[in-house]
Amino acid sequence: MPMLVRKTLREYRRALIGWTIGICTFIGLYVSFFPQMRDNPDFYSQAALAKYPEGVRKLMGGLENFTSGAGFLQAVVYQLFVPLLFIMCAVILGNKAIAAPEESGTLELTVTLPVDRKRLVLERFAALAAGLLAVAVVSLTVLTVLAAAVDMDVPFGRILAAHIALYLLVLFFGTLALTVGAATGNKGLAMGVAGAYAVAGYVFTALSRDSQVMDVLSRLTPFHYYSEGNPLVNGLPVGDCLVLLAGTAVLALTAVLSFDRRDVGV
Amino acid sequence: MPCMTAVVQTEGLTKFYGKRRGLEDLTLEIRPGEVFGYLGPNGAGKTTTIRLLLDVIRPTRGVARLFGADPRDAAVRGRVGYLPGELALEGREKASEYLAYLAGVRGGIGKGMIETLAERLEVDLSVRMGRLSKGNKQKVGLIQAFMHEPDLLILDEPTSGLDPLVQQEFLAMVREARTAGRTVLMSSHVLAEVEHVSNRVGIVRRGRLVAVEDIAALREKAVRKVELHFDAPVPEEAFRDLPGVRDLKIEGAALSCTIDGRPDALIKAAARFTVVHLVSAEPDLEEIFLTYYSEDVHHAHVGA
Ligand SMILES: Nc1ncnc2c1ncn2[C@@H]1O[C@H](COP(=O)(O)OP(=O)(O)O)[C@@H](O)[C@H]1O
Ligand SMILES: [Mg+2]
Repeated sequence: MPMLVRKTLREYRRALIGWTIGICTFIGLYVSFFPQMRDNPDFYSQAALAKYPEGVRKLMGGLENFTSGAGFLQAVVYQLFVPLLFIMCAVILGNKAIAAPEESGTLELTVTLPVDRKRLVLERFAALAAGLLAVAVVSLTVLTVLAAAVDMDVPFGRILAAHIALYLLVLFFGTLALTVGAATGNKGLAMGVAGAYAVAGYVFTALSRDSQVMDVLSRLTPFHYYSEGNPLVNGLPVGDCLVLLAGTAVLALTAVLSFDRRDVGV
Repeated sequence: MPCMTAVVQTEGLTKFYGKRRGLEDLTLEIRPGEVFGYLGPNGAGKTTTIRLLLDVIRPTRGVARLFGADPRDAAVRGRVGYLPGELALEGREKASEYLAYLAGVRGGIGKGMIETLAERLEVDLSVRMGRLSKGNKQKVGLIQAFMHEPDLLILDEPTSGLDPLVQQEFLAMVREARTAGRTVLMSSHVLAEVEHVSNRVGIVRRGRLVAVEDIAALREKAVRKVELHFDAPVPEEAFRDLPGVRDLKIEGAALSCTIDGRPDALIKAAARFTVVHLVSAEPDLEEIFLTYYSEDVHHAHVGA
């Protein structure tokens, strides 16, 4: 493994472990509610309808039919909370790639090493992708085991498809933070841009069924391509995944080129 | 073609931070095997120059070359050991792990180099970097600059934060590097820190290089306080109007004065009497150095 990738992963290790535990705990808690819901479908459907006003339900993906295995996973795991946590993790790690060490001053020595700047960014990006992949693999494993334990009756292929889409979504936002950091060296800005884009993207996509404007806007955000294909039901949406990947690639390329041409630490 | 041999070469090197001047029009050559002291008060432009040389920041105008190559070339940076002026070391990683990583990125270093340097500088490398004191961080910074035995050492205020004994050890390391034929560029805001190891000093002030001086020449120009004690009172006439002698004071058998440059005339005059005791203070280069700050007359154009 290249030196800088290994070093970056070492820097990520604690954060990766922490976020993995957090995300898996969250998944575990929610999945453990499933048997109750399945056994009292009417009660929980009613309760959800009563508890959340329509607008909120829309933001949470409709909450229709969440007493089936796939509907439940979609609603509690893939719709909002897990993507949200995982995106936060990705943005924080993306910031650790360039902007955070630049603000703390440790990047100065790194850029004077006999390593090309382009390569530095690429290796940090590779470490980000690998680190997030590790979180994805562990959480996928935990989810698969728990889903089987509570007889959720969703095929592994579908969970895998949903998790691949989730990983690509998260990688996109992590890379966005890395790229803003690589272009500006500003941690707060990178966090702000990635956070605002994620929130806006989520809202536009959740409301896209209602309004033409929202629908058009949502297409400019990764959430559209993440949720449109409904992988838990239909399997991997290859075209949408390629859009997410292409977006990430464009961002990574932008990061490489912009970091190569600017002053560090000013 | 002296430019073919220069280790560091800049031409019209200029850096503006927005409208703020960091460095303007620096033209300078540092030759192989030379120890160059780069002097100036805070905000003069020393760090700006050094960051430009290492491609941390990019010039507004002008060029910088290391070993005749663009510092953007990663391979050329492999020949440099760099100590940043504001060295940031943090995190839970042990200093030894960080140094091993740096050594790995540099493609390996001599066996035992890190341990030897750590012993010389007396620093414990098993400490987490976030816990190192300022002085120990500086020592780790020196170790990583010296450990791969680079052809060129660029050290930004290397003695800051070091106690006097460690400063002496550091100066010994610089002397050894010079003996081994390496080139050193070190910045400081105090001449006294660099005068004993430097061959030349450059003085930068408000972003401009105002003088480059040979240390030996500087020493020759230096003001020196001298005291002579004789076995009997001496006549004042014997010492009056000697070239280079100022502030002459004779009290019985004791003479004190200040000498500009060579003490030759005074020595010859004193030789006619019996000298029992001679005190000559180290030449106060600081004093000459300060004249560069108080006057703007020394616009020495380097290379001219
Ligand atoms: N990142 C920066 N942004 C704006 N001005 C800067 C920056 N870095 C240095 N300067 C300015 O450039 C000048 C030279 O600074 P510097 O090279 O750090 O001096 P020195 O190292 O000699 O103390 C100072 O006036 C300083 O304020
Ligand atoms: Mg400085």
